[in-house]
Amino acid sequence: MAALGVLDGANLNGGQKLAVKYFTVAFILFGAQILFGLLAGLQYLNPDFLFGVLDFSVNRMVHINALVVWLLFGFIGSVYWLLEDEAGSPVVGIKLGNLIFWIFTLAVAAVVVVYLVVQIGPGEKSSIWLINEGREYIEAPRWADIGIVVCVLVFFFNVVATFTKGRYTGIGGVLVLDLVALAGLYLAGMFYTPNISVDQFWWWWVIHLWVEATWEVMVGCLMAYALIKTLGVRRKIVETWLYIEVALMFGSGILGLGHHYFWIGTPEYWFTIGGFFSALEPIPLVAMVVHAVFDSGAHKMKNNNHPVLGWTIAHAFGNFFGAGVWGFMHTLPQINLFTHGTQWTPSHGHLAFFGAYATIVIAFFYLAMQKWRGNVWMSGNMAGDWKWKWSLALLHIGMIGMVMGMLVAGYQQSFIERAIEGSTWMGYFTAQAHPWFLQGMWWRQIFGWVFAAGYVLLAWDLLTIGKRETRPIAVLHGDASPATA
Amino acid sequence: MIEPVAMANFFTVFFSAASVIVFGALYALLFAYARLHRRPRMMVLTYAAYLGLFAAVLTLAFAANLFSNGFWTLIVLLMLVGYLLAPHAIWYLCVGTHADGHDTGEGVTAETSPVKVYQQR
Amino acid sequence: MSQTEALWWASESFWRKTAIWVTAGSFVALIFLTFDTMSQITAGTKRVPAYSVINHRVDYVFDEKRNFQVPVIGPEEPLFGQMLTEEQAAAMVSKGKLTVQAKNCMNCHTLLGNGAYYAPDLTKAWLDPAWGSKEVREQSMVEFLMNPQERLHNVLGRRMPNLKITEEEARATVAFLKWMSSIDTNGFPYNFKPLDQEN
Repeated sequence: MAALGVLDGANLNGGQKLAVKYFTVAFILFGAQILFGLLAGLQYLNPDFLFGVLDFSVNRMVHINALVVWLLFGFIGSVYWLLEDEAGSPVVGIKLGNLIFWIFTLAVAAVVVVYLVVQIGPGEKSSIWLINEGREYIEAPRWADIGIVVCVLVFFFNVVATFTKGRYTGIGGVLVLDLVALAGLYLAGMFYTPNISVDQFWWWWVIHLWVEATWEVMVGCLMAYALIKTLGVRRKIVETWLYIEVALMFGSGILGLGHHYFWIGTPEYWFTIGGFFSALEPIPLVAMVVHAVFDSGAHKMKNNNHPVLGWTIAHAFGNFFGAGVWGFMHTLPQINLFTHGTQWTPSHGHLAFFGAYATIVIAFFYLAMQKWRGNVWMSGNMAGDWKWKWSLALLHIGMIGMVMGMLVAGYQQSFIERAIEGSTWMGYFTAQAHPWFLQGMWWRQIFGWVFAAGYVLLAWDLLTIGKRETRPIAVLHGDASPATA
Repeated sequence: MIEPVAMANFFTVFFSAASVIVFGALYALLFAYARLHRRPRMMVLTYAAYLGLFAAVLTLAFAANLFSNGFWTLIVLLMLVGYLLAPHAIWYLCVGTHADGHDTGEGVTAETSPVKVYQQR
Repeated sequence: MSQTEALWWASESFWRKTAIWVTAGSFVALIFLTFDTMSQITAGTKRVPAYSVINHRVDYVFDEKRNFQVPVIGPEEPLFGQMLTEEQAAAMVSKGKLTVQAKNCMNCHTLLGNGAYYAPDLTKAWLDPAWGSKEVREQSMVEFLMNPQERLHNVLGRRMPNLKITEEEARATVAFLKWMSSIDTNGFPYNFKPLDQEN
């Protein structure tokens, strides 16, 4: 192992070397997401800004696609990060994995360039194949869809072959099954139909079953690993709880799909299914709260990486407020009728994506930096530890501010546009011109800049944390023998 | 099947729905804390939080016209009973899952544990 | 260890099995529901009418029994004055849908409430009173789609960009919008005030 505090690839195993490549691209795409979000936000305030050059639709598309891809890259990177450690074997087919990383990255770049330069095509199938599919979140043209599937299959091969050669832990087993579902579901979005009801039915299979089911379980696996690593929680307990979480999340999440089937032409029985599973939604959160308190008694939060713990706690709160509180506020059909398709949705979406997913990927960035610098000390009294704290604070202040701005705008929209004006175009614009709405958009923009500042600080911190640190990683238990197994 | 919320009840619906989750978490939190530190008197607070949850669910039910229909009434009852019992169930599960060679938090390592992790490999 | 055996409900293997059964059970239920829903939302059903519905007047009327507005198919009112066969109508709506996708409409507008929030919802665009009257609606829509950037849309100054939509694409898009307005969306959008189509 190289000297402490020096960034050295020798500190990483094969999978981890590949992981940090994925993390790098993920972090850059996170920046792109923020940049294009800021541009789109500015267009709410000044509609002439970049009109006809980079229209709102283009900025918004890049904004949400960057989100999906940076989180996906973050997840893939995180899996490569823990793979050798979990399986107890070097990654099988790492060369192919490396090759695929470059192909995947180039494909993403090509898609973005086409989004920005070509933007739109004629109303023909060729546009869907080559330029953009025009379906929110899965706009990637069909050629890229196929490319994504191939890349994910290779990734899947790496994971399965490595676990098979080494050993299947509980985390490994759940991870593999979850990846099967994740990849399989993507296929549900890869077809064309003129029928918009059928289109949106399957589209929600991809979006909901990714975001509210398979991604949650993916994060459950990553969290389980991170808890073992940073808190030293025992594996048997962590894995039992992983199964409990899977049961609760899939049990409430899979048919929770029903709450997206209220208004797209699907039958009325989805009201019942959506309503029932919405009522179940808080149960996994309750489990999380009780278990976290129980654990705090058992482990007293002793840990060897403060930023990781900080972002894990942020994850718990973000998930609770973003998915829990913000979700439940407008999930019942009786009220969703007025909030569906207003600023309520992005208010909930921003907080939930950030709280449930971005936080965990950022935690893994820190886990990676710690080891990359030779397993350095990242507990109390770090040099320059104001940076991670302030970037965490700025990103949260920015996010909460944006979410509140959109909440006020959405609340007003559900009143004026929906309840009073009856959702006509006139009603839409009356609501959009209301002072509450406009002020909400201003606050959103201002806090967007705060969020961007947090990102810059996060970048600086990730590049410098642990630099010239001479203390080794904190020991979690009395015994200091290195990890075996 | 559904009776859309009256405009006058918008705020009530949003606020009570948010309160359901917040009180639900508060109840779970206090419950777990009182159990962990064995403070029976805190249980009074815990059930006060549940009363808050109870009130929030009923407020939501009235404001969102949930009692106008048998199915939604059932959902309300389910929430009232389910949220009451859930923390109890989860607590027993915690105790149960940690029972085997439980790490007591006194810095004692579990000698039976096959996994001793002090740093990342 | 004997403790663990006693607590079967807290054991790893019990929860592994539970997780598998819960997941599998939910998924199987979802598959059944999907089959049933598919049969109800295929074009040509009660909830999602056949594409040739564009030959008829489509309205959105309050239904006492269901307690919200539902689409009502009225007398013959062919789009652009031309009666189409089922195949012709399907081809036209499909061309419209392709246009909607290729021009990325969904990243400003919402369709059935899903999409972006920078521009109005298109679910009932066909019925929106903003088009003035039923007589000028079709032509106004086509002209607007082909050349939207110079028109004043609203007091905010938000405009739709020129998306190089051809006349054929514009007409097909109108067909798609008319067909979409006939989908039974369980009363979404609520309390909508459609364009007056009575003569």
